[in-house]
Amino acid sequence: MTVEMLPTPNVTPDAAPAIELVGAARWYGNVVAVNDVSFSLGAGVTGLLGPNGAGKTTLLHMLAGFLAPSAGTVQVLGRSPHRDPSLYRQIGLVPERESVYPFLTGFEYVRFNARLQGMKNADLAARAAIARVGLEDAADRAIGTYSKGMRQRAKVAGALVHDPQVLLLDEPFNGMDPRQRLAMMDLLGEMAVAGRTILFSSHILEEVERIGTEILVMVAGRLAASGDFRAIRALMTDRPHTITIHSSDNRKLATTLMAEPAVFAVALQERALSVQTAHLSAFRRIIATASRTAGVRLIEVVPADESLESVFDYLVRR
Amino acid sequence: MTGVSMSASVSVLPEIVRITFRQLLGRRRTLLLLLLAALPVLLAVIFRLAGEIDVHSYTRRVFDTVSMTIVLPLAAVLFGTGAFGAETDEGTILYLLAKPVPRWIIVAAKALAAAMLTVALTVASVFLAGVVELLPAGADGLSATEAQVGAMIVGSLCYVALFVPLSLFTRRALVIGIGYTLVWEGALSNLLPGIANLSIRQYALGAADAFFQLHTDPARLSPMTAFTLAAVLVVAAFALATWRLMRFELPGGTD
Repeated sequence: MTVEMLPTPNVTPDAAPAIELVGAARWYGNVVAVNDVSFSLGAGVTGLLGPNGAGKTTLLHMLAGFLAPSAGTVQVLGRSPHRDPSLYRQIGLVPERESVYPFLTGFEYVRFNARLQGMKNADLAARAAIARVGLEDAADRAIGTYSKGMRQRAKVAGALVHDPQVLLLDEPFNGMDPRQRLAMMDLLGEMAVAGRTILFSSHILEEVERIGTEILVMVAGRLAASGDFRAIRALMTDRPHTITIHSSDNRKLATTLMAEPAVFAVALQERALSVQTAHLSAFRRIIATASRTAGVRLIEVVPADESLESVFDYLVRR
Repeated sequence: MTGVSMSASVSVLPEIVRITFRQLLGRRRTLLLLLLAALPVLLAVIFRLAGEIDVHSYTRRVFDTVSMTIVLPLAAVLFGTGAFGAETDEGTILYLLAKPVPRWIIVAAKALAAAMLTVALTVASVFLAGVVELLPAGADGLSATEAQVGAMIVGSLCYVALFVPLSLFTRRALVIGIGYTLVWEGALSNLLPGIANLSIRQYALGAADAFFQLHTDPARLSPMTAFTLAAVLVVAAFALATWRLMRFELPGGTD
């Protein structure tokens, strides 16, 4: 397994990193959830990407102090977060689980967080945090009546009400509609510009596209890649794609496609055609032209290997 | 705590107490416990209507078998295990723990909320039953009511002190707690005099004797011994719960 293809993201040369892992590992009996992960992060937004089961949540829980590393070190703002509650004054956490006290209103929930942070103007801070996530209209409704996206926003408001230096978010975009997602990404971007360190996990690659910053890719507990989002995305784009095609005449279409430079393998199956290409976007144009040239009617064109697991696996194999 | 004074830490205690009240006073749980607490009052009315006013007889037949054996332990186990149980089951405990609040404050707030609700329910139950059945018995009736209220307070505090840490060690705290109250407290502590030192029921009855001898025989523990053992239990359970919460880790997984 190859690890580390690109430079480690966001290392601040002059100041101590806000987050630093050195050979961090966590296992449960024989199950290794996180294996020998090292990286450091300064101010900015970093996406922690990986398929389900990759170890993202375990990593975030170690950073949040809820799990001790089985090996290696985990530091936040120069201290181990494990069994150090005072560090939560500077950490905000948005856990993955949706559950939020259903009997509290959004405002009461955020104010509860502010008061537990020891804030004197808890009401004021809560109203400001609610405004930042755009939840004003629903602030006085019980959270039990919220949609999934609204609950996520309430959780984010509760996590940032004390203006933490480090914000850890586990799948924060789950349940948000595209408009809410964009607004949340803008908010995280603003916080990063203000010097905060933000690490969020996601199993959807495109979620980080708008923030357009650094990413860490985890696969099977290991850090498979880290660095600039666009560079890693390009690596993923250049990988071979397999496409399954159903048409009115698969054999005829295969002959036409074999002449295309972007297509480097064609295989006739029982009722379909399997094509491999390095450039998915180019192939989309080619297939339309090729079917017209061959006089073949396309019934179905399906990318066969577009699951995230296959994308991340490809990164690991390189 | 860095940058947070002790008084600032303690000031969050009422916040956690309030939220725990709201967690514990769910509609079904509250209804069930109110019905349960009404049972001794109903029985007292029946006794009264039957014209039977005898302190020891009432104590044996209603206070012992219903209030001490059913109402008190069940209220304590539901409130005591629910104080943290609701948080750990739903995952909301992370919102409490990811705060710069000393763990002993969280334990104190949770235990206080559960104890206040248990005391309120059980004391109201025996007091109202006492007003109906015992107060007409004169001075003895008044003292017996005081003793029963004392037993409920001591019993509530001890049971809650036991069940709060239990819920931090196991997700089956409710089942284990009910099993404990039925088998150990309900049956064994009555049958085996030797385990009186390890029985919350006996602590409560011993404490009650400081006010009035509820039974024809004195309690198995003297009031002083009962109060001392109860205090040791509460302090030890509080320390254990705090120790456990300081070492709280999220359950294992691969993500």
